[in-house]
Amino acid sequence: MPPKRRTSAGPRAPAQSTLAFHGTINKVTKPTTGPRSAKSHLKVDDILNASTKPEASDISEIEPDAPTIIQQTVAEIPAPVKPAAQLNAEREARKVSEARIKKYWAAKEKGRLAPRVHQEELGLHEKVLREWDMCAAYGPAIGNSRLKRWNRANRLNLHPPIEVLAVLLMEQDDNNAGAQRAYVDELMNSRFGDEA
Amino acid sequence: MADGSGDFRQCSPFQTDFSTNERSQSAYTPLHTFDLPRGADKHYQQQYADMYFLRLAQLKPAVEEQAEEAWGSMKIGSDTPQHVDRVLDVRQGIPSWVVGTVFVDMPLKPNVLDDISKDHWISAPPTRERYTTDGKLDMMIEDESGRLKIIGDGLDTLGLVTGCVIAILGHENIDGVFNVIDTKYADLPRQPERWEKDEASLALSGGKVKQKRPRADRVAIISGLEISGDSGNDLALVMLTEYLIGESSHPSRPDGSKKISRLIVAGGSLAHSSPIPSREEVVAKKGHKKYGYDSAAYDASPTARLDTFLSDILPTLPVTLLPGVTDPASVAIPQQPLHAALFPQSRALANSPALKNDPHLGFDSVSNPWEGDIDGWRFLGTGGQTVTDVQKYLDVDSTLDIMDAMLRWRCIAPTAPDTLWCYPFQEDDPLLVKECPHVYFAGNMPKFDFRTETGPLEQTVTLISVPKYSETGIIVFLDMETLEVTHIELGVGNPKP
Repeated sequence: MPPKRRTSAGPRAPAQSTLAFHGTINKVTKPTTGPRSAKSHLKVDDILNASTKPEASDISEIEPDAPTIIQQTVAEIPAPVKPAAQLNAEREARKVSEARIKKYWAAKEKGRLAPRVHQEELGLHEKVLREWDMCAAYGPAIGNSRLKRWNRANRLNLHPPIEVLAVLLMEQDDNNAGAQRAYVDELMNSRFGDEA
Repeated sequence: MADGSGDFRQCSPFQTDFSTNERSQSAYTPLHTFDLPRGADKHYQQQYADMYFLRLAQLKPAVEEQAEEAWGSMKIGSDTPQHVDRVLDVRQGIPSWVVGTVFVDMPLKPNVLDDISKDHWISAPPTRERYTTDGKLDMMIEDESGRLKIIGDGLDTLGLVTGCVIAILGHENIDGVFNVIDTKYADLPRQPERWEKDEASLALSGGKVKQKRPRADRVAIISGLEISGDSGNDLALVMLTEYLIGESSHPSRPDGSKKISRLIVAGGSLAHSSPIPSREEVVAKKGHKKYGYDSAAYDASPTARLDTFLSDILPTLPVTLLPGVTDPASVAIPQQPLHAALFPQSRALANSPALKNDPHLGFDSVSNPWEGDIDGWRFLGTGGQTVTDVQKYLDVDSTLDIMDAMLRWRCIAPTAPDTLWCYPFQEDDPLLVKECPHVYFAGNMPKFDFRTETGPLEQTVTLISVPKYSETGIIVFLDMETLEVTHIELGVGNPKP
């Protein structure tokens, strides 16, 4: 006969716990966030606004600031090498001084019969950039960032003015992301009617 | 068993020598001209105006050159026609010439308002085969400044479609309509020499440039397999497999399939694989909601049959597969390559995505349209929807004329994005022909035809229209040394005496 197994004293305790299909131990689904609070509404709107800005984040080719998860994965992919023509143009543009931009703008103003209206409160840079948006010869300004449009026009040998690139690079150095999006673009794509 | 004793271990090896057929290697370099960026880099926020701008900006210099050469020194009456920069700068009565994009306004073209009319009436008007209406069309020339209506005696017979960039010579009349005397298009671009790309890369890497190339064999092109998974329809496919593997030719007649070095499938491999449900169907289906995939609607047998067909021929014959209109690739051109997940057996014989720029020895699933180098010659091919879309505008039956015109306009899909769905290109338009190909083929055409065209700079292009294999049973062969086109027809029937 096999040796008698020792059993614990008292009624045999159950070897298994009772199965339960409820309770926190058996929760299969992932924890969900609670009902949307007012704070998270803002976050969603931010994301929406960010996504409507076409390629506005592309212009910071130098380095991405405050990397979120998405930007981190983008930064891991090596940045595309800029073609030689673009690098040459940027080098030329960095040599352009503020005085030369003023002269360029003065020449444009002299070509007109009447002064421009509704532009009194704009700075010189913004005026130059809006004029750049309106030149149809370099392609549509909507749906493209100003820098990309300049580079595209340069690539197609349309001889875009170097002063515009100088202004764009100056704005980029000042971390002014709003200058990269064409003003017409903002007007056409504004979600909330009259206040652009 | 050979000596009849029945003892397997005592058999002598086979005495007879079986002749083996061999294929020569096909030198293959696919160009990824039409591959779109993946994931977050593919944007749809831009509009199609960018595409038209790119087309005009890139083709304008070439067209201006042709027009200057032809009209620069000619005299109309007493004056020379002057070149006008913008379309709206033409002046009444002064002969001038200008470059712009053509826009043809046809009343029967698909209109987004038809969709809206479905809400008010019972059903939309049926889709048309041809948009032509016996001369009731309005032609306009357009550029970034505006549109100019054009009329002319020879305009209808010229065969112009929306999207081709031309120069027009004439003058504006009292009504503000431009009266056209003559037109000029860009004509064929520069053609690379045979092996030019390979030699250039060899020169860069320091290898010997002038290499002795082995004699190249033939390339087979088929299209329109229309595999639907029905086992009853399999005979044509089995015959094709047998022919390509070499089983149907007797070893004593060593011609035929032994000499094929590559197979190109030009679209239409699967029949009805991605039907877009119309609005009525979507509304009717809204009743039952199924989680996961709908097993009643999904049928894996067509793709499984295509996969089996490819894996039968792949071990010996490299295959280039283009998607077509009925294949499960994107609807908008350029259609992206059919995904490797559809081909579980064939993808073992394909290059992994990481090595997609290395020479390919097996299965290559490519985009539609497609450009590549095979044995040194530059190939350009489409699945056929670009050609059939242009055919809807014109009353022309010969698809070769259309293909020739598209090359001379330097745009292989002029009607995109007007009536042909297209990705909104913003930086560069790959649908423009920058280098003239040696061979231009289009699949799923109504009938088989081929022709050789020549250009002003002594370019020669072989145009091939490949019919559907499921309808005609024709396989087209292209000899890679002489670029000569032959074909055979596989079918069931009484052999000719």
